[in-house]
Amino acid sequence: VSVIYLDNAATTAVDPRVMEAMLDCLSATGDYANASATNHAPGRRARARVEQARAEVAAVVGASPEQVLWTSGATESNNLALLGAARFGRARGRHLVTSRTEHPAVLDACRQLEREGFEVTYLKPGATGIVEPGQVEQALRPDTLLVSLMHVNNEIGVVQDVAAVGALCRERGILFHVDAAQSAGKLPIDVQRDAIDLLSLTAHKLHGPKGVGALCLRREPRIGLVPLQFGGGQERGLRSGTLPTHQLAGMGAAYRIAAQEMTADAARIAGLRDLLWQALGAVPGISLNGDSGRRVAGILNVSIDGVEGESLLASLPDLAVASGSACASMTAEPSYVLRALGRSDRMAQSSLRLSLGRFSTRADVETAAARIREEVERLRSIAPAPRAGAVP
Amino acid sequence: VSADPRYSAEVLRRLRETPGAGLLAAEPGSVQGCAGDREQGAEVQIACTVVQGRIAAARFLAFGCPHFIAAASWLTDQLPGTGYDDLLAWDWRAAAQALEVPAAKFGRLLTLQDAVRDLSRNWPGGQQSTV
Repeated sequence: VSVIYLDNAATTAVDPRVMEAMLDCLSATGDYANASATNHAPGRRARARVEQARAEVAAVVGASPEQVLWTSGATESNNLALLGAARFGRARGRHLVTSRTEHPAVLDACRQLEREGFEVTYLKPGATGIVEPGQVEQALRPDTLLVSLMHVNNEIGVVQDVAAVGALCRERGILFHVDAAQSAGKLPIDVQRDAIDLLSLTAHKLHGPKGVGALCLRREPRIGLVPLQFGGGQERGLRSGTLPTHQLAGMGAAYRIAAQEMTADAARIAGLRDLLWQALGAVPGISLNGDSGRRVAGILNVSIDGVEGESLLASLPDLAVASGSACASMTAEPSYVLRALGRSDRMAQSSLRLSLGRFSTRADVETAAARIREEVERLRSIAPAPRAGAVP
Repeated sequence: VSADPRYSAEVLRRLRETPGAGLLAAEPGSVQGCAGDREQGAEVQIACTVVQGRIAAARFLAFGCPHFIAAASWLTDQLPGTGYDDLLAWDWRAAAQALEVPAAKFGRLLTLQDAVRDLSRNWPGGQQSTV
């Protein structure tokens, strides 16, 4: 069965131009040497690749290359940002602020900090998924050390006003961490302009390789972090481990391409997303999850009343999409993000996330919408009629 | 490798082809059993025609997960030829075994058993043993 891939918020295909950059660092004739071995020419060439990639990533987020610290991905970046900054600054304050709709890499790190004696305030977003800057302001306390907010939500695609929250934090000398795994290279973000102290980045959501990411750190004044791993002292002693030159070259290439094509990609993908929503809009009982205006181009999350999400997903083997249903996501509960927005368990259970990328086509979108309509109609036709007075 | 390990081939076939789905015309001897609640994630209606104390035809309507829909479909295949006492003896474990339903979904099959019990309560002419 040929499968239409609409799960680009989970991961993306590597761009052939990125693969080319990576291959240059793998073969015996390429720049495969250890980038720390700068005593010989191959090592210096590998180091040059690493530093070129660092500059390419930094440029996309308005940072200088020295601010970029390599990691294995956004999960590690989030952990290092939260655990590292909180443990370093615990004498200054033991309170953190975040939202209920953050990625588990942030929420689970917060839970760990709670076990270590920190207090965490989890803000509830409004029904559209937006956390208002005023909510953050109200939650701040004299002992607040750090605020963590994602730029774009991975399930519903809504965009938070990180610049406003950054300004609030900067005024008060509170560290501001942003998880930009779903936004960097897709939406403008600038660590200077938006007053972001710690920014988590990844490559694989942007047609780069899996297993590599970065944490962008404020330089002046320098942020203190307690490292999570120890060893060879790479990355200024904050993240030991041999640098994976091919992965870093790939991430650099992915960010360079994104910088060049962001505007065109975003416009084309937003057009496809709107086409998809228009085509699905004809399905009775369908509703959009998340704010209709403040959203990233590639993510569309819908709930379809009267259809059980797991059955819908299992009826669509020709589509690679995500669902908020408990069984589909291999968790015990339906999507915690949708429930935080006030969606009922049943509506969370009947949700689908369709996410588009650089290689999505109009034909993909049209076929997917037709197939979803067809299966929704079929599953409804075999369901008992809803009881009178049932609440969606 | 690409087969979904959460579902047996039979569950997927019954989910996608839904043999036995639909309604039966209301006529003398028709009987229905209902159970579940959409809010709880599983709801089913089993409709049968009973001729001379035995089920002659059965159909289902179901809302729920793939295992639940498949089990309702499987049940309607099993019902023709059965009588009142067979309904009382029906056990959800038979469906679980036939469809390789994982333990986490056993609760859904209990909903199906409730529908079979309801069917027996609504048996035409009251409780009539075929033994």
